[in-house]
Amino acid sequence: MWRNVWAVVRREYLQRVRSRWFVAATIGGPLFMAALFVVPAYFAARDESASRELAVIDGTNVLYERVALRLEEAGWSVSEQRWHADVVTELRGAAAAGEIGGFVLLDELTLETGEAILYTTERPSTVRHFSMRSAIARAALEFQLEQRGVDAEAMLEGGELEIELLGGGGSDMEEPRFVVAYLGAFFLYMVILLYAVSVMRATLEEKTNRVVEVIISSMKPWHLMLGKILGVGAVSMTQMAIWLLAGVLLFATGLPMLVSAQPELANLADLADVLPGAGLLALFVGFFVFGFFMYSGLYAAVGAMCSSDEEAQQAQLPVMVFLIVPIVMITGVIEDPGAPLSVGLSLFPLFTPILMWGRVAGGHVPAWEIALSFALMLLTVFAIAWIAGRIYRVGILMAGKRPTLPELWRWIRAA
Amino acid sequence: MDDGRYAIRLHGVTKRFGRRTAVDDLDLDVPRGSIYGLLGPNGSGKTTTIRMIMGILLPDEGTVSLFGGEPEVRRTRVGYLPEERGVYRKMRCLEFIVFLAEIRGVARAEGRRRGGAWLERLGLSEWADRRVEDLSKGMQQKIQFIGTVVHEPDLLILDEPFSGLDPINQDVLEEIVRDFRERGTTVVFSTHLMDQAERLCERVCLISSARKVLDADLRELKASERRGVVAVEFEGADGWLDAPEIDHVRRVDGTVHLLLRDGGDHQVVLERAVGSGARILSFDLVQPRLHEIFVRHAGVDAVGDAGLPERGKT
Repeated sequence: MWRNVWAVVRREYLQRVRSRWFVAATIGGPLFMAALFVVPAYFAARDESASRELAVIDGTNVLYERVALRLEEAGWSVSEQRWHADVVTELRGAAAAGEIGGFVLLDELTLETGEAILYTTERPSTVRHFSMRSAIARAALEFQLEQRGVDAEAMLEGGELEIELLGGGGSDMEEPRFVVAYLGAFFLYMVILLYAVSVMRATLEEKTNRVVEVIISSMKPWHLMLGKILGVGAVSMTQMAIWLLAGVLLFATGLPMLVSAQPELANLADLADVLPGAGLLALFVGFFVFGFFMYSGLYAAVGAMCSSDEEAQQAQLPVMVFLIVPIVMITGVIEDPGAPLSVGLSLFPLFTPILMWGRVAGGHVPAWEIALSFALMLLTVFAIAWIAGRIYRVGILMAGKRPTLPELWRWIRAA
Repeated sequence: MDDGRYAIRLHGVTKRFGRRTAVDDLDLDVPRGSIYGLLGPNGSGKTTTIRMIMGILLPDEGTVSLFGGEPEVRRTRVGYLPEERGVYRKMRCLEFIVFLAEIRGVARAEGRRRGGAWLERLGLSEWADRRVEDLSKGMQQKIQFIGTVVHEPDLLILDEPFSGLDPINQDVLEEIVRDFRERGTTVVFSTHLMDQAERLCERVCLISSARKVLDADLRELKASERRGVVAVEFEGADGWLDAPEIDHVRRVDGTVHLLLRDGGDHQVVLERAVGSGARILSFDLVQPRLHEIFVRHAGVDAVGDAGLPERGKT
């Protein structure tokens, strides 16, 4: 048996991985994602040709060190100018001559309200404007807080709220991260749908071009179906592994390089903070694998019972609903992961990959719930394989009209 | 009940689609090592029969057994070429052949070697690494044929194998079928080309309107045809065609085919013709053709368009 299944897996895998589509999507995917983050930041930072030389006139005599530090982090080179009567006139001349990009005047008002004045020949870009403003305001705030003996650093980082769950038994996952929960849920939805539909298309293609008659005469339909699903599954894992690797490379080497070359992009580095850890990533892969096996079985059955693309488009709708419903509900579930409704829905196996992911990534879920959800999904995989296998066996060789529900029931019951 | 002499046995097989009966109470015994022709007009039930032999359809009634029973032999010892051709269009030719060999238990390296040899034999070597979709329809059909035989099956089941091939490739295919026969392979093929069947088959079965009309050894069938056929070309009087020795007259182009009655002597016919003043241009004793035998046994209606040249069937 496994020899045949393996032959089908191998054929399916090699043919897909060698296709232009695979190469394009695998390389293009990460590039697209990278472009999505980098390009806007790059352009926002770049639309300015003025010199990065900046003079700072510190009228307060206490802020220069702090302001200079922050401004240099944001990519300026800063020089200090002592205050004297002609300094503004001199610096105006230097700016007009292009020797410096401009100069900043700090005074008592800066200490009180964070206000300062930038003299420049060219209106700064939004990003520069914002980063300079926050550098100055922050320096002033830090100074004021430290005057009162406050740990300004920790306070300005946003403090920390430690959670102690009462009653114990809480799973020790990473901190809740809403972005990860949302993006992950949508990504799960996309990849499960994408690859499950691939299984349907492959089945349909085999059926419509009749090659299946020859294959089925040499192997059991169930083996063919299993081979197809495993083959497409292997392709999906390959593709995701490449994406993951590309992502790691991007954040580990690409991003630091980019930031050092373009200091204005420093805020991109903050993205690294929201990345999920290894535990969450493993769960993500788990949800994908189980989701894929459940839905690819259903989609294989849909493919086997149809005889044209148009027919399949319609017939897949009842299956697709089970993927769309959790996407519609994901917001509510992430916002209130502990509500009984959230718990219940996320334990419904066909919803589990997306909803349980949302709960796990967005908040703390007891380990036993996660374990239970996987157990339920496993049972569902077997149940779907049994039912879909029966539909597949009859449908794959059937030509003509799509079966009605009673007919489908007969197919399933037929020995 | 099975003594191993038969590669295929069908017993009382019936298949209905809705209210239409596609195959009706069919018994079929295909002796091992023979070339067996399944003949009949379009829609007579040939393909349905073959699909039941292959286990693609299950009969509503009756039994099908291959090599005395075990259905598993289908998967490895049978080569099946369906009527509707199908290939993986995106696969490379040799890969496709190797895959088909692999799922019937031939190791990949061996499949590759055999596939290469077959491509060579059919003049497709240079296409080995091209995608199947780049080939012409006829070439795709040859690739599929290689896929059917690459695992050296004991039983070949070919549904209309010659349709869509040019005469040269039809000859090549005939030769290959004979080769397999030499090696002891049982070959069953369906066709509606009587000439092909007559050249190749040892045994023929005529199916018409879901029923078996005739099932016989071709040599015996012909030997039993004691009545001769005379092909005559003549000018002048044709009153002698009413002679009592003549059963049936059929005009074929300029020639007249005379089907003689049992015991009718062609010599007597010739004398009558000459005596009546007709001018004889040629007078040939010919073997009855399969088509004529069928017509005699089953009537024109049963034979239908079988035996007529193919008309753009795909």
